[in-house]
Amino acid sequence: MKKILVVDDEESIRLLYKEELEEDGFSVEVAKDGEEALEKVSLFKPDLITLDIKMPGMDGIETLKRIRDLNRKLPIIMCSAYGEYRQDLTTWASDAYIVKCADLSELKTTICRLLGLS
Amino acid sequence: MFDQSDGYGLLTKIIHLSTSSLPIKDKLDQMLQAIQDSFGADQTLLLRREKIVENGLLSRLALEKKPFWFDEESSFPEERVHPAEKDLLRLPFACLPLYERDIFQGMLYIGFSKERKFSSQEIDLLLLITEEMGEAIQLSHLFQKVEQTSSELAALQEMGKVATSTLKLEELLESVVKTGLKILQAKGGVLRIEDKTTKELKVQWSFGDYHHHLLDEKIAKRVLMTQTPFLLNHFQKDSPLLSILCVPLRTKEGVLGTLAFYDKDSDPSKFDERDFQLLLIMANQMSFAIENALTHYETSQLATEHEKRVRELTILWELSKALLTTVKFERITQMTLTAITIGAGLGFNRALLFMVNEKTRFLEGTMAVGPDNPEEAGRIWRYVSQQKGNLSDLVGQLHLPPEKNSTLNTIVKGIQIPLELEDCILSKTVLEGRPFNVRFPQTEETWIQTKCDRGCHLSVEVGCHIGTHLSRDPKVYSFATVPLWGKGKVIGVILVDNLYNQNPITDEDIQTLTMFSTQAGLAIENAILYRNLEEVHQTLKETQTHLLHQEKMAALGKLSSTIAHEIRNPLVSIGGFARRLYRSIPEQAPEKRYTQTIMIEVSRLEKILSDLLNYTRDEIPAFQEVDLREILEDSLSMVSEKFDDGKIQLTKHFAEGLPKVRGDHQQLLQVFSSLFNNAYEAMKGKGELSIRVLAISKNGSSLVRVEVENTGSGIDPENLHNIFNPFYSTKDSGLGLGLPLIYRIVTSHQGQIEVDNRPGEGVTFIVTLPSAQEGDKK
Repeated sequence: MKKILVVDDEESIRLLYKEELEEDGFSVEVAKDGEEALEKVSLFKPDLITLDIKMPGMDGIETLKRIRDLNRKLPIIMCSAYGEYRQDLTTWASDAYIVKCADLSELKTTICRLLGLS
Repeated sequence: MFDQSDGYGLLTKIIHLSTSSLPIKDKLDQMLQAIQDSFGADQTLLLRREKIVENGLLSRLALEKKPFWFDEESSFPEERVHPAEKDLLRLPFACLPLYERDIFQGMLYIGFSKERKFSSQEIDLLLLITEEMGEAIQLSHLFQKVEQTSSELAALQEMGKVATSTLKLEELLESVVKTGLKILQAKGGVLRIEDKTTKELKVQWSFGDYHHHLLDEKIAKRVLMTQTPFLLNHFQKDSPLLSILCVPLRTKEGVLGTLAFYDKDSDPSKFDERDFQLLLIMANQMSFAIENALTHYETSQLATEHEKRVRELTILWELSKALLTTVKFERITQMTLTAITIGAGLGFNRALLFMVNEKTRFLEGTMAVGPDNPEEAGRIWRYVSQQKGNLSDLVGQLHLPPEKNSTLNTIVKGIQIPLELEDCILSKTVLEGRPFNVRFPQTEETWIQTKCDRGCHLSVEVGCHIGTHLSRDPKVYSFATVPLWGKGKVIGVILVDNLYNQNPITDEDIQTLTMFSTQAGLAIENAILYRNLEEVHQTLKETQTHLLHQEKMAALGKLSSTIAHEIRNPLVSIGGFARRLYRSIPEQAPEKRYTQTIMIEVSRLEKILSDLLNYTRDEIPAFQEVDLREILEDSLSMVSEKFDDGKIQLTKHFAEGLPKVRGDHQQLLQVFSSLFNNAYEAMKGKGELSIRVLAISKNGSSLVRVEVENTGSGIDPENLHNIFNPFYSTKDSGLGLGLPLIYRIVTSHQGQIEVDNRPGEGVTFIVTLPSAQEGDKK
């Protein structure tokens, strides 16, 4: 079973993602901020991370940098309320960039693509 | 012998003849005849003074002042007879000297062939007769003198009348020659005046026959030079007598010219001393009159010339004044051409203006003023002549409505001539910076030069127009061109012609036109500068508005991004959980519909939010070489899934070998997906969507053109001009930021977007983007 770490400061989003992805057969762990995310990466050893950009304290971009210092190959999907950093992030650090949407199909397609699932 | 009654009879007869009105010659002839008859003489002669041989017998006898008769040899002093007298003086004869007031007039000679004795009575009778004859001669002399004086007086009076009757040179000269002809009874007369500047002796007036002979000219020149009158009665073998009377016309300052008369109308045709004297008197009198008339003529010529100059200057001043009333290019050019064509102005029939385009190095037809046909010409001339006011007002106020859209104006506006076109008269005028007056280019060669023969409309449409429309030979088309000078350079050309009234274009016309176009050129240049200034001002204003708009957008963008999270995240939760609920609710339950409503509304809000965020986020495009075909396919697949219910027919026509485009992949994806989305929405589920892509070339640049055509209802023409303005939406949903964003992205790609709207039928959006190699060029 593939393990996914969902990082978001909004509790409702964390809950939605967790339930939806678990329903699709993933093992899901959540983190509410960058610090927690870094801890969970070491402990939980996820196969993929969805990472919110705008978070209090350490934001998504800083978190992305730290995670990359630990693991260069771990697939990371950046999730944002809008696409302002899309260009920069996809070119140097993240594997995908998704604008958050109530319809999670794009997110799910991207996850499957990155994990090599059909 | 001779008795007393015979003597009486003869004396009565002589007295009778003496008092008769016969001419003197006839009088004397008849007297001699009567003497001869009465005395039974063989020869009766009246020897005139000049015929009597000097130092002869007769001259000696004449001194005695008494009658002599010689009837016998003894008393005849034969030794005194001069050899020349020998034949005449044979015995017997009588001779009586004739005296008039003690002046010897001649000798009456009566000769006999047979012996004859003279009685004292006969001698007395002869004395009486000679006295009477002398008186007759005296009378005739007196009469002649009176006659001559009176005719001279009459001639002089007539001349005086002529001299004072007119100051008009031509009239005076004509009268002088005609009166001279009458007085001298000549067959022809010539008056020559010396040209003061060229020193040439020119025939000013001639009348009747005169000899166009080299000799005639030579005589006139000699008379002028020597200031001496000349009389020639020239006898030529086998040809009529040539008689010339030529006198100088002398004034205080010198000689004006000559007056000559030819061939007296008498037989033989020769002038005598009296004619000569008369002509001299006449010439002296007339010289002053002619001199006055000449001075008057020159003065009036000068006055006319000045008047003309003043008028020209007034016109130029008035026209220049009119040009100062505006700085608008259109008005200035219109006024310039009106001033050139208006009758009270420069009065040409048509005027065409061509301006130099410095960037393209082309002469561009700018404006034309002039009627299209003779009828219109007449109408306009009548209209203009009825206008009141001074010229500057007239030029400024005159609007000739039919001219604005005249055929000529339309033709001229379409004319474009490369400046380097050597044969074209217009280019030549600019390059050489001087006027050309093309008068009747008679030869084919000059005509071709005029018409350039290289697709130039000037001749074909403007010039040849004459040939086809007015049935006139285009070869006789005359026109003139003048350069229009700005500050130190030619900025255009004005072409003028007199197509309708065919007045010749004189060099003075050109001079005036040149003077005026110098003024007009500066005014037009100022207008151009003003126009440029206005354009720059407008651009500045637009830039300012744009900057303000951008500032506003930036503020809006900042605001949007801050609240985006706050709204986006709850939306995602609401929508996401609604979807979960939806899946868990059984089909028939009413909650299923409620949940669906939540989902749809959330989608709509998400759409609005992303539109707003997309529009306000002024992202700098990340340019790279992209394959437009790929982008179009991707955009299509993004959208078509939504609408894929088989009712919309899709046609794609992608040309082969399309060049790559330089652009931002993501942004272009957004452009075309938005356009496709709009198209699908416009067709409301039914219709035909056509996508055509082709490579085109415009102004030497390589471009890719994408046409997105739908068969929806089209755009309401009322809204058409607003479709690219932000927040202008006619849809129930959305902020109206789709097309404005497309517009912004396309223009940031140096591309263009056009709309071909067919209300009720559909609409085509045409996006043109420069190919990647164009980007490399820059």
